[in-house]
Amino acid sequence: MKALVLAERSDAIAELCAGARTVADEVVLVAFGDTQVPEAVADKVAHIALPEGAVVDDAADTVIAAFDAEKADVVFVEPTKHMKVVAGKLAAHLGASVITDVIAFEGDVATNMFFGGVGMKKQKAAGVAIYTVGAGVFAEAQASGANAVEELAWVAPAKAVKLVSSKAIEKSGVDLFKADVVVAAGRGFAAKEDLKMADELCEKLGAGLGCSRPLTEGVDWLPTEVYIGVSGLMLSPKVYIAAGISGQMQHMVGCNRATTLFAINKDKNAPIFKQCDFGLVGDINTVLPALTAAL
Amino acid sequence: MKIVVSFKVVPDDQDIQVSGDGSLDFSKAHKIVSTYDLNAMEAAAQLAAANEGSSVVGVTVGDKKIDDSKLKKNVLARGVDELFMTADDACADMDAHATAAALAELVAKVGDYDLILCGDGSADNYAQQVDVQLAAKLGLPVVNGATKIEAGDGFVTVERTLEDVVETVEVPLPAVVSVTPDVALPRIPGMKDILAAGKKPMNVVAAEGTFANAIKVVDCKAPEQADRKLEIIDASEDGAIEKFAAAIKAAL
Repeated sequence: MKALVLAERSDAIAELCAGARTVADEVVLVAFGDTQVPEAVADKVAHIALPEGAVVDDAADTVIAAFDAEKADVVFVEPTKHMKVVAGKLAAHLGASVITDVIAFEGDVATNMFFGGVGMKKQKAAGVAIYTVGAGVFAEAQASGANAVEELAWVAPAKAVKLVSSKAIEKSGVDLFKADVVVAAGRGFAAKEDLKMADELCEKLGAGLGCSRPLTEGVDWLPTEVYIGVSGLMLSPKVYIAAGISGQMQHMVGCNRATTLFAINKDKNAPIFKQCDFGLVGDINTVLPALTAAL
Repeated sequence: MKIVVSFKVVPDDQDIQVSGDGSLDFSKAHKIVSTYDLNAMEAAAQLAAANEGSSVVGVTVGDKKIDDSKLKKNVLARGVDELFMTADDACADMDAHATAAALAELVAKVGDYDLILCGDGSADNYAQQVDVQLAAKLGLPVVNGATKIEAGDGFVTVERTLEDVVETVEVPLPAVVSVTPDVALPRIPGMKDILAAGKKPMNVVAAEGTFANAIKVVDCKAPEQADRKLEIIDASEDGAIEKFAAAIKAAL
């Protein structure tokens, strides 16, 4: 069995190569541009140098050529926007469809979410299997390999997209995936200033602050990158504290794998009180400062 | 410019029932336009409004039930000028590869176009793959993650908001561009829009080809709920805050 890994960030490269190693005796990583490749993760590192002004997506034709040369049986892909384009073009070339955002594997049966978690869908690829796999699925696996580097010749796309500029997004600095404790703020916060109460609770607990959709869409109280739920972050921290969040399914799929789930809401009938370990019925404006003081 | 906006009709997730055996029951669910596809429609309408002489054509493929008069009017009340729909049970429950094939067949009936817009991902599978597969099928360039689109001469300038960077790219036309929900907030159609929508052209056709899925679904059930303790206390009770704080400390 031979596996191809398509990933652009070091963490994902390491984890997906490790995952690929659990099913394949030969692991080939495709690395793009100036990506940092961790040591000893793959048997072969097929490197694609990006021509000036090219977007990573347009490496798809080169990846297709590499796939045809390698004849891999399975492809593991990091679920970034660039990689989703590359994987999709490879799938189209193979008459396949990518099985996206897999959260668990049992042999060749992959599970992902249907309607944002209302259902769990188990599926199999008819031909070559191409999966996008998020962080954490292969956290236990161990990567290995000699990282023998091979430079791939650029195959120009028929109609190239021209990269005009690329600007780094300023990040808040918190990586909620790495946080053991996450505090999430929701619609219960009436004003941006009120988030200070959540910040203080985070500081006390060494927690990261995330939020439900209403606080990033339409208003910019918090950056989009800390939105938890469908199409946002899917977290599994040790402790999750939902403050002023009602518990709509769209949010809960992002946190229902937390070890212990705490909820604070002034509405005792909020759906979150049917899905938490410990619930506190009360107004966040009085409860949060009191809780911070009590911790 | 002529803008095609592709959308998906899905069951309203609010109406999905979970049966005793965990299987999902869609029989009571209304058919609606997948949420984020409304943002794509709005982006298409705004781009058309910014470029004089433009028109917007909506396209969708699905089973026979998507041919719903209320749904069609809803689409045409959102700045969409004409609708093309393949409503055929041959198009039920398709994966991205099959959907792209069915859409390509339908788009051929639209005539010439400059741009095809897609939404961020469908409410059901959220695979974010139909844009790419459709572009590959039609031999067009594609970019995703668009948060801003401006028309140029023979190209569009697209701002893409990715995980770590914002890219500005020029995409030669015709092209496929998929947009994020942030690109434009969907309008709320008024009564006048809905009445006018009824008079716009609606082309509903049957599928000509057959579209085979490349993914086989083995099982689809509601997830088992994690066992939670469900210890709920009222903050006004004596010692409630301390108890809650103690529980947090114990869980750390």
